[in-house]
Amino acid sequence: MVNHAVTILVVLSIILIGLLILRPSLTAVTGGKILAFIALFILPICALALGSAVHLQHATSTNFCLSCHPMEAYGKSLRIDDPSYIPASHFQNNRIPRGEACYTCHTTYAMFGGLKAKLGGLRHVYIYYFGTVPAKLALYEPYNNRECLHCHAGMRVFEESSPHKEMMGQLGSNEMSCLTCHNKTHDVQNADKLKFWKGP
Amino acid sequence: MVENSPRLQQRLKIAAYLLIAGLVLEAITLYWSSPLSFILFAGGAGTLMVLGIIVYLIAIAAA
Repeated sequence: MVNHAVTILVVLSIILIGLLILRPSLTAVTGGKILAFIALFILPICALALGSAVHLQHATSTNFCLSCHPMEAYGKSLRIDDPSYIPASHFQNNRIPRGEACYTCHTTYAMFGGLKAKLGGLRHVYIYYFGTVPAKLALYEPYNNRECLHCHAGMRVFEESSPHKEMMGQLGSNEMSCLTCHNKTHDVQNADKLKFWKGP
Repeated sequence: MVENSPRLQQRLKIAAYLLIAGLVLEAITLYWSSPLSFILFAGGAGTLMVLGIIVYLIAIAAA
């Protein structure tokens, strides 16, 4: 929908700019000068701003992340047919939006978290096209409980169950990582030995 | 009708061509969701359009 709106804006801009190229004498009169200002300044700025918004939205999609070859195995791991695998069980049970699976869990839910994720993404794109992708991928910093608690904090089933109830303070301060117990994550190394869900 | 100077016309034309090139590139990248399309948008379309706007502003400032 937004794509179409931006496309209409782009087409309208091209038509108006084309008109100015074909009829340059238009800009000699006041009305033409206003038209030129709209076509050569206002509309391109709007198209650029809206285009950036569309691209930033695209960048949050699972397909966007998985379009890079090194991420394919991680995408496949979302379909491991075993509920003890945290990313797979979240993905398959709609605990996270499937269309934004990577972004939902790998964005820091802090001030400028989205910006940090985008800058990290640009770095990844640079390495993918112009550098060497490391054989083993790793997070820049240990996975922060904040990313889990962004959704789980406040959930009755989470906060009132044992052992979460007893260690809420430790979980909140990252003294104890969620991954200490929930340690089955993407496990791309052993993916060949696992069964996969064939759902949507 | 007062005609614009040839220099202004030429600058406006350059700005127009740069903007059209940027807008066409942007339209292409909008329907292609991949990191490369983002690079093309930011590095290609964005640069062309910013240059076009700058050339337009220079043209009207110098007129």
